[in-house]
Amino acid sequence: MPLPTDQDLVTDWKSRPAPLLPLLHAFNDRDGYLSDEALRAVSQGLRIPLADLFGTVTFYHHFSRFPPGTNAPRVCTGQVCRFAGGLELLETMRKDGATPMPCAGRCDEPVPVLTGRSVQVGVTVGEFESRPSPLPVANPGGLEECVFAAIRNPGNDTLEGYRRAGGYSGYEGALGSDPENLLTVITDSGLAGRGGAGFPTGVKWRAVREALNPRPGDDTRAGPKSVVCNADEGEPGCFKDRVLMDHDPHAVLEGMALAGYAAGAEIGFIYLRYEYPETADILDRAITEAENAGLLGENILGSGFSFRIHVRRGAGAYICGEEGSLLNSLEGKHPFPRERPPFPVTHGFENRPTVVNNVETLASAAAIARRGAEWYRGLGAGDLAGTKIISLSGDIMRPGNYEVPFGFPLQTLLNDWAGGPRPGRHIQAVTMAGISGGFLAKEDLDVTLDEPSVRSKGSMLGAGGIMVFDDSRDMLEVAHSCMEFFAHESCGKCFPCRIGTQRLTERLAGAAGPGVLAGWSDEVEDIGSVMKATSACGLGMAAPLITESLMRYFPEQVAAHVEATNS
Amino acid sequence: MSDPSSETTVGSIEVDGKNLNFTAGETILEVTRRHGAVSGEPCKIPTLCYDERLDPFGGCRMCVVELEGSHNPVASCARAAEDGMVIRSSTEAVEKHRKTLLEMVCSENRQVDVDPLSGYASQELKELADRYDARSGRFAGKKSGKSREDDPNPFILRDYDQCISCYRCVRVCAEQEGDYAISVKGRGFDTQITVEFDGHLKDSACTFCGQCVQTCPTGALADRKALRHTEVPGEIEKTRTICTYCGVGCSVDILTKGDSMVGVQPAMDGPANHGALCVKGQFAYDFVQHDERLKTPMIRGEDGELHPTSWDVALDKAAQGFLDARDKHGRHSVYAVASGRAPHEAGYTTQKFIRSGFWSNHIDNCSRA
Repeated sequence: MPLPTDQDLVTDWKSRPAPLLPLLHAFNDRDGYLSDEALRAVSQGLRIPLADLFGTVTFYHHFSRFPPGTNAPRVCTGQVCRFAGGLELLETMRKDGATPMPCAGRCDEPVPVLTGRSVQVGVTVGEFESRPSPLPVANPGGLEECVFAAIRNPGNDTLEGYRRAGGYSGYEGALGSDPENLLTVITDSGLAGRGGAGFPTGVKWRAVREALNPRPGDDTRAGPKSVVCNADEGEPGCFKDRVLMDHDPHAVLEGMALAGYAAGAEIGFIYLRYEYPETADILDRAITEAENAGLLGENILGSGFSFRIHVRRGAGAYICGEEGSLLNSLEGKHPFPRERPPFPVTHGFENRPTVVNNVETLASAAAIARRGAEWYRGLGAGDLAGTKIISLSGDIMRPGNYEVPFGFPLQTLLNDWAGGPRPGRHIQAVTMAGISGGFLAKEDLDVTLDEPSVRSKGSMLGAGGIMVFDDSRDMLEVAHSCMEFFAHESCGKCFPCRIGTQRLTERLAGAAGPGVLAGWSDEVEDIGSVMKATSACGLGMAAPLITESLMRYFPEQVAAHVEATNS
Repeated sequence: MSDPSSETTVGSIEVDGKNLNFTAGETILEVTRRHGAVSGEPCKIPTLCYDERLDPFGGCRMCVVELEGSHNPVASCARAAEDGMVIRSSTEAVEKHRKTLLEMVCSENRQVDVDPLSGYASQELKELADRYDARSGRFAGKKSGKSREDDPNPFILRDYDQCISCYRCVRVCAEQEGDYAISVKGRGFDTQITVEFDGHLKDSACTFCGQCVQTCPTGALADRKALRHTEVPGEIEKTRTICTYCGVGCSVDILTKGDSMVGVQPAMDGPANHGALCVKGQFAYDFVQHDERLKTPMIRGEDGELHPTSWDVALDKAAQGFLDARDKHGRHSVYAVASGRAPHEAGYTTQKFIRSGFWSNHIDNCSRA
């Protein structure tokens, strides 16, 4: 079959929703890179100014302007993969044109290498393999689960398998009754954003449902509305959304459709991180199954409700997990975060009311619609509602995803469930919220896994990624690689983050900054303070938690580092 | 800047103890500035990425203010005023953040001081650095931005070592000019202002209107023609006038040092242009002091050479030429094409002159071609 022409590709995409990223991917899949001619064709076809398009394309790590482009391997050099030999592997593969990529969301596996649309894992050239995401082990505490309850059932990733565990029954029930009932159930369940922000899901859905047109005196409801599933899981050390989408894709679709029904939206997007190409295939297959079964599409099950879901792949930009950036990216704009307010519930996709929810939130909503608010609330410890997936990786015997009740002790997860540190070692520190919560160490490891407890230590639980570092690790080196990540991913919109992440990285590398501890600390603290207070989005606010917690828990290592820089 | 009391106000906010009314859609910064202009106590909230003609951006974070009930300070340029907001614009904490931000910005550039001939807004960073005593040398490290050595255009100097990534150039090009010639390449500290495919300005969609130059707060983008006059002695004086090139009537400030014209800057408060200019109004002023500029009327003599003369003589000569042509070839031998850049009044006068002077209806305007 002849390759599609530029015009074929443009014609194929230009009338579909959110066309820029998939069109660029189509050129990328054909050519392996984005040539000048490709950009000119896209610019003309989608009526995007060429300079704008050029700038936007260069924003994304995985779009390449020159061959071999995506056909050259990208090797993960994330924090955990460095321990597994990622940097050495990269050097070995340099002759094949390999380049580094930031954490690719497979911290529970050997080092991932992404080439074209294929991911292989391994640590030795010639011994790579492609394999499905590791399933979570059976709940080590025998506790009842929400999103992992059926995930280990064989065939759960198919419609038939999902249905066997009661899948889509909550949705079918909801379609037969007023959306108000669904909103009440979700609100009463206490479900809150599992991507880290913790905003009450029912309140968000209701806000979108009730959003009015912004014109003064206009009390009609604004529309059309959208549901966006944030599957950009870019936080280092987080790989929970991948396992949900790979092994329970219909739960995510059901959650989205429920959100659509509750909020009055007719279109849904899954914004999927680039590094999960096989997940895109799994989701596409699940969507087709659901459409064929009449669960997605027009006038679903005779209810009058119509809803369609589109998968849109990102192209390598951590910031696109920030909802404003995500929406800009989806719209084909430069993916800078948006000023808030206004929030997406009123000004989201294409400036219309939009539900933006994390994968885990939506999968939880599907279970809640089926089993009820009371059931979900009861899963948490004490007064805390529900469960959270923790992605555990690094220096721990059994890394992987664990679903824990909110309020679960961290030490129990680390030592009892996950087997503790390697023999002869002890845990020096863990990160929280991937790396966005900085480090916890020493007596602060006695927290419970819920925001009030973790925040009382100056950190946050966030999306639930926890990386473990034992006493063999140089915490300055770890902090440096974390800050280097933030600097690499800073979008460049706001000054405190753009300059601050760079300056902190240089200081952690010993490349610049005062050679006297007092001066060094002053600079690092001032940068951190201005970043936390004035950054335009969460990236810049979170990054200095790395240096803050490093200086709090490891003052001797910091002093020795500054001393060494000085000499 | 009109009197706030004459606007349709929808509520009021309290800024540093004063109640200020606001109109629908106004941001905290706009409200504060508008009232400041009226009260004679100008708003002191500093900005770097702000240009009042452009959409709010919220990049530099210099304008953050404390808002009661908000955990973090908010960017006053981007936050819409809401009734009852209580704002403190210059607390010690906020001023400290501003100083730190400025020290960080200074650390990424080669220098803070640039010649004021660079452009209209070119002294903004310097002034803030002085006001906040931010040339401390703290936060040393890698410099940001890189320029192409070869950039053969005669108008716009691009010195990205001086760039602070405020994107005013990108935004003014898109929002004011609609040219979309400038874009943002890469991200984070490696962000680079550029044009399509990293090319030259002259190969891009740039029309050399100079808007990017005039909004740049650091002199990273500068007026190459004006900078030829940095060595001319004397203070820069500005004289407000109207651009003579076309009928739009853009207000400009002519920059002079002594008797020398050294540059042109758009008038931000020009009623017809609000700071906009085109390539001609911005850059095409060399003729004013050109050696070969005609300064008196000239008449070609019997010797075939041009000789200086007076206006009376020249006009008589021209009138006679027209009359001779009409007498010899009839009234339709005379026609007029009015200049498309002339205002309505001049166009009217032209047709009147031809119709009633020669009884000819042969008139046209070059814009119709």
